[in-house]
Amino acid sequence: MGFPDASKDLSSEMEVDAFRRLFPLKYFERHLAEAIRPDGRPLGKARDTTVVLGAVASANGSALVKIGSTTMLTAIKMEVMTPSLESPDEGCIAIDFHMPPICSPIVRPGRPAEAAPVISKQLSDTISSSGSIDLKELSLVTGKAAWMAYLDVYCLDADGALFDAALLSAVAALSHLQIPAVAMNDDGKIVLLSEDDGQKKAQEPVNKEKRNLTLRSIPFSLTCILHKNYILVDPTAEEESIMETVVTIALDTSGQLVSLYKPGGPVLAFTSAIQDCVALTRQRVKELKGILEEANSTMQVE
Amino acid sequence: MAGKGGSAPATYSPSPTTQKKKTSLFQEDWVRPDGRGFHQCRPAFFRTGAVNAASGSAYAEFGNTKIIVSVFGPRESKKAMMYSDIGRLNCNVSYTTFASPVRGQGSDHKEYTAMLHKALEGAIILESFPKTTVDVFALVLESGGSDLPVVISCASLALADAGIMMYDLVASVSVSCLSKNLVIDPIFEEENSQDGSLMITCMPSRYEITQLTFTGEWSTPKIDEGMQLCLDACAKLAKIMRSCLKEAASDSQE
Repeated sequence: MGFPDASKDLSSEMEVDAFRRLFPLKYFERHLAEAIRPDGRPLGKARDTTVVLGAVASANGSALVKIGSTTMLTAIKMEVMTPSLESPDEGCIAIDFHMPPICSPIVRPGRPAEAAPVISKQLSDTISSSGSIDLKELSLVTGKAAWMAYLDVYCLDADGALFDAALLSAVAALSHLQIPAVAMNDDGKIVLLSEDDGQKKAQEPVNKEKRNLTLRSIPFSLTCILHKNYILVDPTAEEESIMETVVTIALDTSGQLVSLYKPGGPVLAFTSAIQDCVALTRQRVKELKGILEEANSTMQVE
Repeated sequence: MAGKGGSAPATYSPSPTTQKKKTSLFQEDWVRPDGRGFHQCRPAFFRTGAVNAASGSAYAEFGNTKIIVSVFGPRESKKAMMYSDIGRLNCNVSYTTFASPVRGQGSDHKEYTAMLHKALEGAIILESFPKTTVDVFALVLESGGSDLPVVISCASLALADAGIMMYDLVASVSVSCLSKNLVIDPIFEEENSQDGSLMITCMPSRYEITQLTFTGEWSTPKIDEGMQLCLDACAKLAKIMRSCLKEAASDSQE
């Protein structure tokens, strides 16, 4: 727990632990009065964030993201589908968020966590409404073949701010995604082009070489907790369970608002509180953009 | 953002133009794709404390097989369960959608949950946590062959990390029979073309086996050879697991 005062004897240390369990709200409020949180962070500071690209070698794009202890692993696998009649020159992205039983004591096998489908929908809505991906780039042969990108986000460790970490890992995996080189063979099926194919190609290469997806504006998000007059940034699972009012704001790199999500909660948010949250999110977007760019440049060097 | 038509469209994975020739496994001079000797296991990497939210956890990486196991508990049993004066063990093994090279295939290992349960049951001192349940959940991040043995070894490490009392660490190794050769710790390709397999889960310090699984055709001398290979490998694996636990313990003391 890291209490610096070593002069306290064991009985009063036990009291602190017990106090934390028995009166969690009072415990937190004592800290908030000093403008600090139990893990030592100031109210407006997010936890350490790391992004590692290419975590899953067999996938076309992948990323492992850690925000504090919350860990998300995303992998993108590309498969071929026939495009729909309404949009014959567009591909598709299927985003799915999974919370396997390993990630949290509240998840049971066979019973998906309550949060999982909510975050899954939130993710797909945010990414599609941010307009960062042009589905036409996923087209192969108009009307006949297009890419279906299966984007699976797995939560490996759930410690609060799940949506932020999930969005960051999805976006990081999309920036790492490499569309494989394929050709259409005589049966009309798409096959992979292997690089050391010395034979004369009877097939027409549909996609000559591996290429990356161009991402237009990238959405980043920040979750805040509202409690009385305080705004706590990037909550842990403990904080989320005690102070239930959560606000999630997603902005894109050009500063435009992509989504604002405040699902009820006991605290009502005035305009000023929302504006403060947006300002905090703006700062965080700069940080996250820097982290993602660094991760991308590290990948290219390798 | 799923298919605008309503139901998910059928998709297929683009397969490479030149299929790798199925190298004849029926030859005497089969060379393992990763260059190992027939009686050589993959290098094992273990790390405990992978998941912060769990009471105990471990991450194992054997070549391309990557597993995370979390242990929760001992915690309250489901209210519907009958009273039990010894503890209960609840296991679950699941695969990610990207664990196998082709999405969605290879995730039909529903029997692994029951096998994990049987492998660990004998080693845990259930009397030490009456009325409660210990949950062991495994997630296979990448399936590179020999998944179940790695899951079992990783689970026993996670149980140790959680402080659950056990008679001994449990280590597990499998051997594949490819025509006349016995190869230990098979990878995915080797498992697919095997004629028989043997998996042993044992408690090395006590020289006791908690689970033994044979499939396929085995002659008695082959059985003896296979079992000896496995037991030796389990002993070595247990040493690696122990040193991992000791490192973790000394790191936390600092």
